[in-house]
Amino acid sequence: MNELVISNLSKTYSNGVQALKNVSLTIPRGMFGLLGPNGAGKSSLMRTIATLQEADSGSIRLNTIDVLRQKEDVRKILGYLPQEFGVYPKISAETMLDHIATLKGIRNSNERKEVVEALLQKVNLYQFRKKNLGTFSGGMKQRFGIAQALIGNPKLIIVDEPTAGLDPAERNRFHNLLSEIGLNTIVILSTHIVEDVTNLCSSMAIICMGEVVAQGNPNTLVASVQGKIWKRVVNKEELPLYQKEYQVISTHLKAGLTNIHVYSDDLPDSTFEPVDADLEDVYFTKITGNADAVAV
Amino acid sequence: MFKDIFLFELKYRARRPATYLYALILFLYFFISIINGWTPGSEKAYINSAFVIQQALIIMSIFGVLICSAIMGVPVYRDIEHDTRSYFLSYPITEKGYLLGRYAGSFVVLFLVFLAGTLGLLLGGIMGPLFGFEETSRFGPVNFSAYANGIILFLLPNIFFTGTLFFCLVTLTRKIVVAYTGSILFFVAYLVANALTSDIEKRNLADLIDTFGLNTFQNATRYWTVVEQNTSLAALEGNTLWNRIIWMSMAAVVFAYTVFRFNFQSFLDVKLGKKKTIELDLGISKTHVHIPVAVQSFSASGYFREMFRLAKLEFTNVVTDIYFLGILLGGLLFLFLDGWFGFPQYGTPSFPTTYYMLEVKDFNYIIFIYILLIFYTGEVVHRDRSVRFNQISDTLPVPNWLMYGSKFLALVYICLMLVHMPLICGVLNQVIKGYYTFEFGKYFTDLYLIELPEYLQLTMLTFFVHILVNNKFPGHVVSIGIWVIMFSLRSFAEYDYNLFFYSYTPGYRISDMNGFGHFLKPLAWFNVYWLLLGVLLLMIGNLLWVRGTEGDWQNRLKLARHRINTPVLASLLTVTLLWIGTGSYIYYNTSIVNNYRTAEENRNAQAELEKKYSHLERALQPKITDVKLYADLYPNDFRASMRAICLITNKWDKPIDTLYINSNAPIRYLKINGTALEPFFQDASLLPTEGINTDADRTHTGFLWYKLPQTLQPGDTVTMETQTELAYRGFTNSGINRQVVENGTFYTGGIPAFGYSSQGELTSDKERKKRNLPEKKYTQPAQDDPWGLGNLLFNDDADYITYEAVVSTTPDQIAVSPGYLQKSWEDNGRKYYQYKMEGEMDMFFTVVSARYAVAKDQWKGQDGKTVNIEIFHHPTHTYNIDRFIGSVKASMDYFNTNFTPYQYKQMRILEFPRYAGFAQSFPNTVPYSESFAWVGDFSDPDKTDYGFYVTAHEVAHQWWGHQVTPSNTRGANQLSETMAEYSALMVLKKEYGEDAMQKFLKYALDRYLSGRASERKFEETLMQNDQRAYVWYQKGSLIMYALADYIGEDAVNKGLKAFLEKAAFRQKAPFATTGEFLPYLMNATPDSLQYFVVDGWENICLYENRIKEATYQKVKDDEYKVKLTVDTKKIYYDGTGNEMAQGKYKEYIDIGIFTEDGKNKQGMTVKKPLYLKKHWLAPGEHTLEFTVKGKPVRAGIDPYNKLIDRVPDDNVKDVSEE
Repeated sequence: MNELVISNLSKTYSNGVQALKNVSLTIPRGMFGLLGPNGAGKSSLMRTIATLQEADSGSIRLNTIDVLRQKEDVRKILGYLPQEFGVYPKISAETMLDHIATLKGIRNSNERKEVVEALLQKVNLYQFRKKNLGTFSGGMKQRFGIAQALIGNPKLIIVDEPTAGLDPAERNRFHNLLSEIGLNTIVILSTHIVEDVTNLCSSMAIICMGEVVAQGNPNTLVASVQGKIWKRVVNKEELPLYQKEYQVISTHLKAGLTNIHVYSDDLPDSTFEPVDADLEDVYFTKITGNADAVAV
Repeated sequence: MFKDIFLFELKYRARRPATYLYALILFLYFFISIINGWTPGSEKAYINSAFVIQQALIIMSIFGVLICSAIMGVPVYRDIEHDTRSYFLSYPITEKGYLLGRYAGSFVVLFLVFLAGTLGLLLGGIMGPLFGFEETSRFGPVNFSAYANGIILFLLPNIFFTGTLFFCLVTLTRKIVVAYTGSILFFVAYLVANALTSDIEKRNLADLIDTFGLNTFQNATRYWTVVEQNTSLAALEGNTLWNRIIWMSMAAVVFAYTVFRFNFQSFLDVKLGKKKTIELDLGISKTHVHIPVAVQSFSASGYFREMFRLAKLEFTNVVTDIYFLGILLGGLLFLFLDGWFGFPQYGTPSFPTTYYMLEVKDFNYIIFIYILLIFYTGEVVHRDRSVRFNQISDTLPVPNWLMYGSKFLALVYICLMLVHMPLICGVLNQVIKGYYTFEFGKYFTDLYLIELPEYLQLTMLTFFVHILVNNKFPGHVVSIGIWVIMFSLRSFAEYDYNLFFYSYTPGYRISDMNGFGHFLKPLAWFNVYWLLLGVLLLMIGNLLWVRGTEGDWQNRLKLARHRINTPVLASLLTVTLLWIGTGSYIYYNTSIVNNYRTAEENRNAQAELEKKYSHLERALQPKITDVKLYADLYPNDFRASMRAICLITNKWDKPIDTLYINSNAPIRYLKINGTALEPFFQDASLLPTEGINTDADRTHTGFLWYKLPQTLQPGDTVTMETQTELAYRGFTNSGINRQVVENGTFYTGGIPAFGYSSQGELTSDKERKKRNLPEKKYTQPAQDDPWGLGNLLFNDDADYITYEAVVSTTPDQIAVSPGYLQKSWEDNGRKYYQYKMEGEMDMFFTVVSARYAVAKDQWKGQDGKTVNIEIFHHPTHTYNIDRFIGSVKASMDYFNTNFTPYQYKQMRILEFPRYAGFAQSFPNTVPYSESFAWVGDFSDPDKTDYGFYVTAHEVAHQWWGHQVTPSNTRGANQLSETMAEYSALMVLKKEYGEDAMQKFLKYALDRYLSGRASERKFEETLMQNDQRAYVWYQKGSLIMYALADYIGEDAVNKGLKAFLEKAAFRQKAPFATTGEFLPYLMNATPDSLQYFVVDGWENICLYENRIKEATYQKVKDDEYKVKLTVDTKKIYYDGTGNEMAQGKYKEYIDIGIFTEDGKNKQGMTVKKPLYLKKHWLAPGEHTLEFTVKGKPVRAGIDPYNKLIDRVPDDNVKDVSEE
């Protein structure tokens, strides 16, 4: 039984920005996708779970652990890959992982060596293990980040925008790795790429402006908007008109033509065609309910 | 394009708060300094005198190095740091435009920031009177030319130099840390210059290598009098010009090179080159790899081991850092060189004793330590954050204390490493110099018990500041700022209560005789006190430490509340209580047991006493005629119990019915003819700051007035018996009390004084004025004042006395007092020594006691008279015993031959600990400081044998001071000091020859000229001088030496002998004055040269002699025709330095032509004159022609600097072929 329960979590920064508004989520074992535009509060939420910042009110519980209070206990089972991180440029990947493994409580040096070696193999950095981290490319650094997060068999893994800056092949490999891990643990994946969630996650939530606007199984969410998304091609000049008239959830500019998606319970008018809704439409629907349409 | 970048830079800076912060700091610092009068320079000169302004501008540029690095180091680095270079440089801008624009923009901002500091100076000078901290009259008119001159000559070139170098170094290396290291290197040149400038011979070099020109300025203005300080501007000439040229051209070259080398390509390509080798990443994920599950354990002992492991890692990180090593190397260089050049006296080195090797750690090394510890504490605290690894490291499952503790522990390791460096450098120095007396106990005591705590305290505070500020650069600024503020408060505002100044402790001095003496106890208490505060700060820091991403105070306080629990609270409370406890104990010792007063309180008390009691100064009191002293010394208890039985006689023509006693030591009893008296009045409002320990002491110290049981009629004599006790208890704020110590007691006291002594009055007119006291022009009565003529210079409670003393001490020590040893015995575990003086002496006695070894010798005169010579020395200080004995013998020879016979059968010299650095001549007894000559290294014949000289001076006092006992009138001390100087010079000349005198006279001239420049009242002539040491020692030496050269040594001595015969042992008033003395000198001088005696003794006049041209023509084989153009001028000044008149008459002046220097028989380098003769020269220019044998190399007017010349260096010139 492994479950992370977030209840009524709120956070306002000292500069007045309200990052989290009464967030309640239940995150089961497996991959959990946290979707939201930039600045929606994803990172705030993740950092709060990762013991890096405080909440103003609400609670987070991981089984019996009170995450906000028992930080020490959380850290013992946590694997965290922040959105942005640096490395010690003059230390090799192997030494650094060994060092982190020690801090994660693996006292036996042979065991430590095995773990580090396996992780380096796993993220395919083994051949570079002796190289200084300062010489790593962006992708390699990201893989190193994954490796460090996996040390110590964590029960809770938080990865914040992990595929930013990775090439498609690398991203793919990365997703496979995550899926494999997600079989036994809670993996929270924050991203603003809808496709990632579609491909990977068994459950998800959409956050916008600090609030949870939707949560559940991706398929269920898609089903909830199925038949309510319509599209048509419009002139660029007409766009404001449509935006006024309908809930335009997204606009795509393709070969000089503007293709719009509109959310509506019924067919708005005959010029529209129905769309086979996907998660992206769910995402945009939920977000436009809260903010202006997003141009993609 | 340049313009756009330039303007952008200005706008960018204008929006940065830091720019205003820097400007504000400079403005306030200088504004506050000026309005409070915390400036160098004479108190007679204006607070905002031209001199002060110019010097302040230089100092501003030195302080400002940090600001320079912050402003000039970042304009290019900014694009690296924020990665904007990747696109910024893709804009259509040129490399030169970019670089010059950034440079010019930043430099303008830098200059404006420094102008804010200048404005602080200016406004401080204008608004100073409004604040009222200092008298309105102390602020002079605004002297804009001084500001302009200081800015153009110093400030602007300095910030150009430092700013340009920072800019260029960062541009070329793309590393900001280079800017840090750079700032250290600037200081190196400056510090080397500081070290060199104390040696006259090396002053030219110091002038040139001082990056900031501070030494150059100070040397150029060394001899400026008050008048000149107020208005004169430093001139761009000579060394100042060369200094500026050297450093400016260096900056210009570096700048040109940078502009030339800089291109965008290399600026961008920094890391790409390295990466290429690795980019062959196949990137195949091996998802099938199984990750083994390892056992994790989270135990306290595991954490503990981890903490040490992390600390070791961090320590390795720091000590392998190339910049750390660079700065450390700089520090070590200084540590070694400071030890190497050692502790010269008169330019003569000392042996590398352990205490010297230890003391150099506080010269320059300590500056490097502060820089290293402050910067690297910042690095360590912020390490994870600066590589942005903190979000990962902060989530690792380790407790706060582990991370926090490991960082601090790493710094402790660094402190431990640094603290051993003085040991290594010291021993290395000793080995190289062949000094094999290694005293590791001393090294370890000092380094572990005194030095290490200091480093730790510094680290603790810096650590706390960095935790609190939570941002690296501002953290550095705050850390350094704290020390600057403390330093300024102590040096300028005179706050010195150590309990309030973090990490400050009482001073200490290591002595071979007395070891660490009584200093260790207060040091230990203070160190415990500060370490406890440090621990407290660390504990608070741990609570406020930011772990995670939120650094705002609301969250930090919230977190701190979470972190506090009962054990934490309990330990916080315990440490606080312990801290307060030690603080209270220290307070009890410094302020209650001992009587701490601030400098201001002291002055107020002095003023109060003067107002209340100065009317007693001339109260008629009996005079002591016989002293029997019973001194019981208890060195282990720091206690001296002094009983004196005196005969006192009413020598006046009026009856005396009251004894006005005034005692610094508590009086146990006072008996007249056996009857104990009780004082009818007592006032101890100006208690001494030490040695007064109980209420009983308080009521028996200070002014105590007694009614005599019977009125003392003129001529009546009674017995007065007194018992006083000096005892040091606890410890004082300053830590220094030197009179009674464990080994090396040197106590001058034991009989309470009569009346009131004006010695303790405030002398500074500035301070007097503040307290409504009249200006004090002189400390002594005029020469025609019967009261002054009726008293002796050193003591007005007696004229001549007969003296006997019984001194007891611990059995392992020898105790000495003036007189001949009659017998010694042991009683009740104590050793007693009885002394009795032959004949009568002035009342000037002391008691000395230490574990001595004694060297004995005997002087035999031509007439068969013998004098026993005894040198009481520390057993290991045997290096120069022969030198002391030799000097005593040579002095006896000279003085007995040329003056009068020595009055005693014995002459003693006694070493005392180096807590004071003087020698003092009591009748047949000379205590002589440990740091003076006992450990001097006289192996180089080119160095002045000051041990010989100072000994001769002290022996000479047996004549000048103890045979002639001067009156208490203006000028009279010249009869003691000037004559002792002259006598010693003659002994030195006889022993070492004329050539050895050059260096000595050069120092004398330098000290005289700088002495008169820093005069606080006005200069006086030899005839009238009452208190200026630079007049009686240095001017006196110069005038008397030159006179002996002009009229002949024998003629001078004949005059002196005649005076001695007339004045020696005069037991009745009127006592000797300079007015009585001078005619003897005039009589010895031919009429044509009497002008020289008059100018020397009755006027203040300085020569300006100069050689303008010197050429030669070869006539024959070895014959040369030399043509010289010389200029001579003599100027008369008043006491404040105003020019009064110029000499109109012919002067008798040396003209010399020299060939290459040679060596004399002692191996000393000497000048070889081809021609040396005095000429009568009228003021103005003269062209002289000579024919000499031998190749002329140098020539000059007054080439030996016998005359007092304001610019002694331009008297001699190389001769060139015509």
